[in-house]
Amino acid sequence: MLDKENCGEKTDEELVALTLKNQDFFSCIVERYEAKLTRYIRRISAATQEDAEDLLQEIFVKVYRNLYGFDPSLKFSSWIYRIVHNQVISQWRKTKSRPQVLKFEADEDFLKFIAADEDLAGNIERKFTGEEVQDVISRLDGKYKEVLVLKFLEEKDYKEISDILRKPLGTVATLINRAKKQFAKVVKEKEIKF
Amino acid sequence: MENKFSQKVLEKIKEEKIEPKPRWQFLLKDYFIWLTFGISLLVGGLAFCVMLSIILDNDWDIYRYLEISPLEHFLISLPYIWILLLLLFLAVAYYNYRYTKKGYCCNAFTILALSVFGSIILGTFFHALGLGGKIDRTLSRNFSFYQKIHCCCHRKDIWTQPEKGLLGGKIIGIKNVSNFDLEDFSGFIWQVEKNEQTLLRGPILVEIGEEVKLIGKKKEEKVFRAFEIRPWWNQEEE
Repeated sequence: MLDKENCGEKTDEELVALTLKNQDFFSCIVERYEAKLTRYIRRISAATQEDAEDLLQEIFVKVYRNLYGFDPSLKFSSWIYRIVHNQVISQWRKTKSRPQVLKFEADEDFLKFIAADEDLAGNIERKFTGEEVQDVISRLDGKYKEVLVLKFLEEKDYKEISDILRKPLGTVATLINRAKKQFAKVVKEKEIKF
Repeated sequence: MENKFSQKVLEKIKEEKIEPKPRWQFLLKDYFIWLTFGISLLVGGLAFCVMLSIILDNDWDIYRYLEISPLEHFLISLPYIWILLLLLFLAVAYYNYRYTKKGYCCNAFTILALSVFGSIILGTFFHALGLGGKIDRTLSRNFSFYQKIHCCCHRKDIWTQPEKGLLGGKIIGIKNVSNFDLEDFSGFIWQVEKNEQTLLRGPILVEIGEEVKLIGKKKEEKVFRAFEIRPWWNQEEE
């Protein structure tokens, strides 16, 4: 019988090893990542809550199928985020309906993280409303939105973003830098006072 | 309380009897990518060594007989088919390396530089073993179209211009120390004259069966005065 009480004490890697012996342990992984990944899917796609949950179910089945392919040199969270990222892109390709406007939850955290960023903090004089943030973000290029979401909302470090997007560290740093510049430029163009 | 979503996922896995793919499938995929990367580097190395062999074996000084500029001669002498093959396999090597587990950690420039460097090192090693010349000779002898495509100029055509002082072919008879018969690449028999001033460039033996290149002057119909004799193939690579 699965002792779920102990799930919380296990690391991701331990849960993977346990799942390979007893599939019931997979529910621990699902529970640990369900909320985070649903949010992530909704942040990088225009999916509704229901669509995001359907997609997430497919993703977890895929994760289960590919458990032996988990590369232990990566963090499990980077590996699972990579699968989600690829699956969302694959979904866009299937439906050929990549959203032109990235739906961005009016998340206060975003402003908090942007404001905490040394390059932008000095420029920010007032708080944005959720709508303003959403509007600015929606005007950024897709590649910049992705890194901003991972950096400021998912709180991933450069190495994790590099592993998730399969891009060199230098490219990730450049993308984040350019994303911040584009963010500031869009704000200026909209004459939002910093 | 049981999480509904995780239960749903687990039920789906159980109902559809989904199993994790075996580890060997992932290992096989990894090995295949590395193998393809290795083969691409190897073929790139071979292309580079043949290219090197053709370039080193080319007669860069004959442009004046062809009445063209050194640049034109350079451009028509480049082994384009091998250059293209090298570029193609560099691209395949690059593509494969990107798809190795850690391939994304390096930037495009580093991967390309590594692939180019790998092909050059391998190619130089193969060239030192004489592989480039052997491949070029084997293809030339067995596939007539190869000579036509391996660069812009057909090498045999270049050396079948006796009016310009260039004649190539096979020695088919030795009359005496100053005369031998040569069958050119069009099948005509030439009487070739040489003397002690005739320069033998490169390790060459004037004997029956040898393929040679002659620089000289057409004296009369099917009589050629040789100022210089060169081996058709670089003998050091035999």
